Amino acid sequence: MQIFFGTKRAPQSFNRKREEKMKCRQAKKTISPYVDGALAPGEKNRFESHIRGCASCREDLEETRDLRRMFDSGRRFSAPYGFTTRVLANLEEKKRSRPLSPLPIKPFFLRAVQVAFALVIMTVGIMSGNLLLIERRAPMGQTAVRETFSLDLFQAAPPDSIGGVYDALMGPHHER
Amino acid sequence: MTSTDESNLIERFKQGDRSAFEELVRKFQDRIYNLCRYMLRDPQNAQDAAQDVFLKAYRALKDFRPDASFYTWIYRIAVTTCLDYRRKSHREALRSAPLTEDLPSNAPSPHQLYESREIAESIQIALQKLPDKLRAAIVLREIEGCSYEEIAQVLHASVGTVKSRIWRARNQLRRLLKKTG
Repeated sequence: MQIFFGTKRAPQSFNRKREEKMKCRQAKKTISPYVDGALAPGEKNRFESHIRGCASCREDLEETRDLRRMFDSGRRFSAPYGFTTRVLANLEEKKRSRPLSPLPIKPFFLRAVQVAFALVIMTVGIMSGNLLLIERRAPMGQTAVRETFSLDLFQAAPPDSIGGVYDALMGPHHER
Repeated sequence: MTSTDESNLIERFKQGDRSAFEELVRKFQDRIYNLCRYMLRDPQNAQDAAQDVFLKAYRALKDFRPDASFYTWIYRIAVTTCLDYRRKSHREALRSAPLTEDLPSNAPSPHQLYESREIAESIQIALQKLPDKLRAAIVLREIEGCSYEEIAQVLHASVGTVKSRIWRARNQLRRLLKKTG
């Protein structure tokens, strides 16, 4: 970037270049509303006078016009045959499966209810697990004993059952 | 502002005449389907989305205010529905696919493209590369011919924002189409 110090004036060509650059920046943003016919008369005149002297902006304008022509000549799609009938059939089906609510439940609300329900189930599960713990009252001066239900409470497997055969194979030191 | 014809249909619907809704669907089906087609490209997705638009409209129509513009209202539903569909579908796959592979290999320059038969296809492919907000704005402007004010209503944005989005969308489209030239 060139800097001009003191009283020395910048060359006229430098100023003109800067001015044109600024104009181009504005003009390029104006191309789009210009092709849409959305510019106020004053702005439109300023843009047109810039375009006459600026090849780069003129090129951009032509490309934007080409793009518009592409859209104009592009295909317009029609709804497939029987579209309305399918929409109405869908409506009937939805009405039969559930009434169309004017205020559908918000997914967030639904999710919050699901989370709350899951928390309740988990809390109940943990609390009922505690019920399996039996606390025996200890005599004065002794520590309380806590017992839990375990497989030890079950009877030994009968000798003619699969469990009994297994115990016999494993030897007497494995027996309970 | 809603036209008298549409106002009558909406009024009849509110009074319980279901055939009025059928007439509204027939009247707008092509425009809505066309919009969905350019927004989504895939014909099946476009058809599903267009159907959803009318189902949503059916549910909400009884709350429609007569002073509002019906087509702005239904376009808003259509744009929102299409954006939802895009989010659901394989968006990343579309974005990561290189444009040069998607476009016809012998794609002409932008200047000649508008004369080609493959215009719609090329435009649709290039549109899928734009961010959602830019695509919605340019499709409403170029495909549906909406004014800046109408687009602002549909997209819930200011006219200045709409101008800027259209300008950016055009610049990006020009670059994308030029690459294939």
